[in-house]
Amino acid sequence: MKILVCVKQVPDMESRFKLNAAGSWYSEQDLAWRMNEYDEFAVEQALQLREQLGDGEVVVLSIGPDRVKEAMKKALAMGADRGVHIQDDASFDKDPLQIASMIAAYAADQGFDLIFTGMQSQDRGSAQVGVLLAGLLGLPAVTTIVAFAYADGAVTVRRELEGGQKAVVKLTTPALLTCQLGLNTPRYPTLPNIMKAKKKEILALTVADLLKAAAVTKTVATVFPEKKGGGLVLEGDVGDLADKLLAILKEKTTVFK
Amino acid sequence: MEYTREIYWNVGHGIGTLLPMYLLLLVALGLLVFGYWQRVKVYRLGKVLKRTDALPGRIVAALTQALSQAKVMRVAGAGTAHGLFFWGFFLLFIGTCLIVLQADFTDPLFGIQFLRGRFYLLFSLVLDLAGAVAIVMLLGLLVRRYLLRPDGLETRREDALIHALLLVILITGFVIEGARMAVTELGTDLAPWSPVGLLFAKALSGLGEAGLRALHSSLWWLHLLLALAFIALLPWTKLRHIFNVSANYLLADRGPKGNLTTLDLEAEGVESFGAAKLADLTWKDVFDSDACTLCMRCQDRCPAYATQKPLSPMKVINQLQEIAFGTPDAVLAETIGKDALWSCTTCRACQEICPAAIEHVPKFVDMRRNLVLMEGEFPGEEVMTAVNDTEVNGNPLGMAFAARGDWAEGLGVKTLAEDPEVDLLYFVGCYASFDQRNIKIAKSFIRLCQAAGLKVGILGKQEKCCGEPVRKLGNEYLYQTLAQENIELIQSYAVKRIVTSCPHCFHTLSKDYVDLGLSLPVEHYTVFLDRLLAAGDLQLGSETFSCTYHDSCYLGRYNDIYDAPRRLLAAAGGNIAEMDKSRSDSFCCGAGGGRILAEEKLGTRISESRAGMAAATGAPLLVSNCPFCLTMFEDGVKGAGFEDSLQPKDIAEILAERLPTRVGTGPDATVGQPNCKEVSA
Repeated sequence: MKILVCVKQVPDMESRFKLNAAGSWYSEQDLAWRMNEYDEFAVEQALQLREQLGDGEVVVLSIGPDRVKEAMKKALAMGADRGVHIQDDASFDKDPLQIASMIAAYAADQGFDLIFTGMQSQDRGSAQVGVLLAGLLGLPAVTTIVAFAYADGAVTVRRELEGGQKAVVKLTTPALLTCQLGLNTPRYPTLPNIMKAKKKEILALTVADLLKAAAVTKTVATVFPEKKGGGLVLEGDVGDLADKLLAILKEKTTVFK
Repeated sequence: MEYTREIYWNVGHGIGTLLPMYLLLLVALGLLVFGYWQRVKVYRLGKVLKRTDALPGRIVAALTQALSQAKVMRVAGAGTAHGLFFWGFFLLFIGTCLIVLQADFTDPLFGIQFLRGRFYLLFSLVLDLAGAVAIVMLLGLLVRRYLLRPDGLETRREDALIHALLLVILITGFVIEGARMAVTELGTDLAPWSPVGLLFAKALSGLGEAGLRALHSSLWWLHLLLALAFIALLPWTKLRHIFNVSANYLLADRGPKGNLTTLDLEAEGVESFGAAKLADLTWKDVFDSDACTLCMRCQDRCPAYATQKPLSPMKVINQLQEIAFGTPDAVLAETIGKDALWSCTTCRACQEICPAAIEHVPKFVDMRRNLVLMEGEFPGEEVMTAVNDTEVNGNPLGMAFAARGDWAEGLGVKTLAEDPEVDLLYFVGCYASFDQRNIKIAKSFIRLCQAAGLKVGILGKQEKCCGEPVRKLGNEYLYQTLAQENIELIQSYAVKRIVTSCPHCFHTLSKDYVDLGLSLPVEHYTVFLDRLLAAGDLQLGSETFSCTYHDSCYLGRYNDIYDAPRRLLAAAGGNIAEMDKSRSDSFCCGAGGGRILAEEKLGTRISESRAGMAAATGAPLLVSNCPFCLTMFEDGVKGAGFEDSLQPKDIAEILAERLPTRVGTGPDATVGQPNCKEVSA
């Protein structure tokens, strides 16, 4: 089984964000970087599947400047077999279709049986790269999976629906799955694996080799969200508090309807 | 008349006595050697470790500690009884050796007799009293073990055997003496020099000479056999501790106190880290496990055990012994239990009190290292998150690294990147940098330094966690990564001195970083300020207040700093109502060993236990010297319901409140009255 996992390096969400000079995205000054959380679930699921089968290859792919190799090294330290780095200092400026088309250009003739991605990135949050990639490769895709099982070429996943509902979907490989919180608990890399990861191959590809698609969307400006009313702190007697809470819930929510 | 006695009286000094006696002695010594030969094979299952450097110093230390029984007698009661019993029995052993030396060596070979005259009188008196003391102490310990039965004291079958053996050896000794005296000494002025023997002699005198002689010779042989049995049983029973504990004093870790082995993580051919199995521990660890006397002192002081967590240091040491001698291939973490390993706060109370000089904490860390480095395991997901956050942002709180120096805004403190010419580098640590409550410690320390006219620099966003919590959790790799980054950074500036407000940072920078190449003076702020105060460079207003003081583990037990913080409090006007568990007996706040990053899911809360002890003093202030402790006590005081009567505070805050207030802001500002309004005594 040959598995591709697409990972993105994103800023730590606790970082203090500032806008870049063009106002089109965040400035990279004083940011700490880590692997997109949803992609960690994707890596973990790929590794669990390879372990279940006792055989196979997990390839981890990332697009971006040199720093994204750190996120790939984390995936390699977790146990992925090798990396593919599409070097692009301006990846933040590309739209999801362009990102997906670069991955598709690489993956098209590689014969991957399964592709895992995160359900979205923590910074851009478009949630489009996975499904666009599936479309470009002509693969069936299931998004926001929270459970995964594989047996005899058949994949069974649970995916999140609105209102807390879950759907069970069965499909056959090759396929693409986007991973949601709750799917698994990503492992902490062991020291021998961290050491081994330092020697694992990372294939370097360039944007020029892969990018054929033009952007179909454009980021006009990036702005901070407007400050809205903060939380509400109720104070007073416990009995009154319960009544106040009940009134608010009735007035502003649908939990009693 | 010359004071002396006939040695071998009644049993004879011929070949008929000496031949069987020395043959039996050879048998006993043979069993002793054979027994230890067997055990040494087991000790050698452990890895190599050098503990025989500086041998003269080690020998002196071992003799001093073994003979003085200082570690044993630190606990009154059973410890005192053991010490006195030891001295009694030891004197009897020396006395017996002197008799053998004269009777079978110096006298027959050189005609030298030294057991005569005044020396003999003294010899008689001392041995007589030694025997009496030994019997009384042994009876006391017998009553403790079998009648009082302290909670948790494990009594095994061999305990009865050893108690009986010792008691019979001592009593037969007096009966033999009494029988001999009844025949040879009653009525002489030699007799009163053996007062206890004399009582036995008087009691036995009715038997008549023939009966006394028969009793004497039969008991003499019994006494001999039992004494030889004592020697032969040494390796096979708990008597083993006589040798093992003395040897443990000799083989002790000679510091720096609390230092852990810095692993070579890139050593060629090393594929496994930490201790998964017994063979991954050192021979000293195995030897330690065989030295335990089940005295319970560690268990009685363990904060995890006291709060119903599944950890007893004593039990772990015994499990290691059982594994070593029974199932050496067992997986340590499975036999001992991961919950037990993760419950340790590395507070060192066990190790500090252990009369057998067993080194508990490094074993726990070694086993944790295997869980983290080889299995990627942590005590909980929240801990893994904190460790990941430390990797990404250099602090376990998950705060933006770029905000690390924000607390110092407006205080007139620059980073070394902005201005490297400073009197001291303040290594702030994660909690005083980011945690709102603990930022007050950092700010107070800056105010105190400025009042002393010192220019302080910080590393700001370049500083990273010192690595102490993750190291104690077993993540040696992350620790070394952080440490190397901090060291390279510090060495890139011309730093003269480092002061920390966190005892964990202090311990790590001053001791652990030395292994990785940092060699600068590092002080905890309490020691630093104590010196400024003594030199008159720091002026404090004093207003009387009462408080209790908590000795943090890493300032106290790990670094023996007990008096400087107390002097600072006294200078500020503090009257300290000491808790029962203070100084080296202090009770951990629960945050050490990386536990600050973990939820306390098992048992009751350690911080609440400690808050209860502080509240029991009646003092309104619980003063500590450590951001971890302060964090724990803020929760513990509330959790235990003392938030109205007990306020946790750091020493730095109290001192800063007593700085003379400046009137105006310019350099010519005048000094006004001390500001003490926050003090509630």
